[in-house]
Amino acid sequence: MKTKWLLPLLAIAGFLFASYTVVNGSKPTPVAPAVAEPAFAPYKAFIAGAGIVEAQSQNIAIGTPLPGIVKSVAVKVGDQVKTGDVLFVLDEREHRAVLGVKKADLSKALADVKVADASLADARSLLKIAESVTDRRAISTEELLKRRNAVLIAKAKLQSANAFVQQTNAGITDTQTTLDRLVIRAPVDSEVLQVNVRPGEFAQAGALSTPLLVLGNLDQFHVRVDIDENDAWRFDKNSKAVAYLRGNRQFKAELTLAYVEPYVIPKKSLTGDSTERVDTRVLQALYRFNRDQIPIYVGQQMDVFIEAQDVSNTSNNESQLKPAGPQS
Amino acid sequence: MYHIALKMLMGDRGKYLGIVMGLTFASLIMTQQPAIFLGLMTRTFSFISDVGLPDIWVMDSKVQFVDDIKPLQDTELYRVRGISGVEWAMPMYKGMLKARLADGTFQTCIVIGLDDATLIGGPPVMLQGKLEDLRRSDAVIVDIDGAKDKLAKPSATPGGKTKPLQIGDDLELNDRRAIVVGMSKVSRTFQAQPVVYTTYSRAKNYAPRERKLLSFVLVKAKKGQDLAQLTKRIRETTGLAAYTSSEFKDLTYRYFMKNTGIPINFGISVTLGFIVGAAIAGQTFYNFTLENLRQFGVLKAMGTSNWVLLKMILLQAILVGSIGYGLGVGLTALFGYSMRNTILAFRFPWQLLIFSGAGISLICVFAAIISILKVIRLEPAVVFKG
Repeated sequence: MKTKWLLPLLAIAGFLFASYTVVNGSKPTPVAPAVAEPAFAPYKAFIAGAGIVEAQSQNIAIGTPLPGIVKSVAVKVGDQVKTGDVLFVLDEREHRAVLGVKKADLSKALADVKVADASLADARSLLKIAESVTDRRAISTEELLKRRNAVLIAKAKLQSANAFVQQTNAGITDTQTTLDRLVIRAPVDSEVLQVNVRPGEFAQAGALSTPLLVLGNLDQFHVRVDIDENDAWRFDKNSKAVAYLRGNRQFKAELTLAYVEPYVIPKKSLTGDSTERVDTRVLQALYRFNRDQIPIYVGQQMDVFIEAQDVSNTSNNESQLKPAGPQS
Repeated sequence: MYHIALKMLMGDRGKYLGIVMGLTFASLIMTQQPAIFLGLMTRTFSFISDVGLPDIWVMDSKVQFVDDIKPLQDTELYRVRGISGVEWAMPMYKGMLKARLADGTFQTCIVIGLDDATLIGGPPVMLQGKLEDLRRSDAVIVDIDGAKDKLAKPSATPGGKTKPLQIGDDLELNDRRAIVVGMSKVSRTFQAQPVVYTTYSRAKNYAPRERKLLSFVLVKAKKGQDLAQLTKRIRETTGLAAYTSSEFKDLTYRYFMKNTGIPINFGISVTLGFIVGAAIAGQTFYNFTLENLRQFGVLKAMGTSNWVLLKMILLQAILVGSIGYGLGVGLTALFGYSMRNTILAFRFPWQLLIFSGAGISLICVFAAIISILKVIRLEPAVVFKG
């Protein structure tokens, strides 16, 4: 009577195996933990925004007035520069050559002045001889007139030669100014943040997407916070704000408002890339913080939270809601 | 009496096996088909299950299911972050991009872009490498099924076996270089495309230029925050749709239920299994009762009450039902086990055990009732007629 028990036993085994499959299969999917804990707001109601750290002086993208090949770069990243210090020099050979030509022109002009001077002296002495003749019959009126005119012409030629000297001098000054403009100098006391030119490269004049050189005053940092235009009305200049370093929320900095740019601009790239998408307009507020609080660099992004009034139950107390936005 | 009932049942081995097999077959179909159906439907929202960390998903209000991406503006992330009750909110990119393989063929991949700093929303299981490796330049993490199959490198000799994609290999995503730094295990997706994880900003570079690229905002609620209230608040403040993970799963599930033929197909299979099972088991059981009518008649003539006879038949029905059911679900589990490493969708929750149990009970009750009616109407004199 083995078969008597075979089927029920098989059935029990089957049911147990099914139960095992059920239990085994209903394990919840494991959860991937966050690699770094995300920043969270320490306030009940707040505005969140992305901030980009910049130097107090803002970041100065140095340009060149003239395009040309870079001859030498006098600074490196991290150098402290004073106003007027040389940053980099463009190739000046062409203008030096022009200067040489102009200097030669000057010597020629000076020589010409001497020639004109001599010619005048010659004409004068000839006129003097003619005028000293007392007997009018000895010299024709025509001859006398000729000699007088010769003196006048020589005088005019001398003036012209002198004017040419002036002109040549002006030309030399012009070339020297041009030569001076080929040397790019620091406009303010600051630190070199970025150097994007190397000797031999062509430096373009005009506004560039990658600046040739970036300077900034790093005594104090500012963080430029983008506030969505939809949230701008909730923004209050007097509320507290805090910024967290991305990647480690242990690092945070209390912020004090430096100023608000009252013009709402299209959101620009926080990455600095000129092709980043412009999809909305943002109000930009600049906050000051002590750079010793956290290890941070210019250009780094931060998560910023600004305290705001609680609007979670807007529908109930619409009347109590006051705009916090533009204040005097 | 019950001993007699069992003897009666198992006496005719052929009939006994017939009934049990009919019920086993019915039970198998009623468990295995729904299991495949459930497996398929689970795949539709497998991505939501895999991203376990956030409580709430925020997206465009017109999104119908998880693969229906309607991107948002990047600043919406900060609007969501500014809502009280939100512990954190992270961006996520999800999109279909074409990967070019070494032999020049194209393969559509699901590309997931995770928040650069926290990498929240990563794959549930990392088989090789670490999630942090995504911070390396051009880094992507590929799911193991995709790496072995769809993204595998072609063999050096024509017609040879393909080599699975490995750490350090490169891919070309939308004309850009991507280096594999890790292998992950993810739940299979409905369309079975390879899943490629990378950071949000890199995903934006891989994606074709579009004005909006933010697919989802993942939100974690503050401790003690009521999720229903928070989703309501997010909806009211931003005008976007906010669902908890389970609501989003429901949304996706309902979309597939409504807009695909899958439920009808499997519904028909299950119904057929039920009908065929009921027909075979019911008919065999009825036949078996008919054959044993004489025995019942004898018992009745001996003065056994209808009630006892009824209980005897019920016992027989319950016994064959249980055996059939046990064998059926066991075979289903065996089927699922043997197919565990294939692409087949299979999911066996406890509800399914109850479902097929109820189905088998229904068949047994049906079979028992017609037999019982016959026995109750039986005249004891019939024994002496033959």
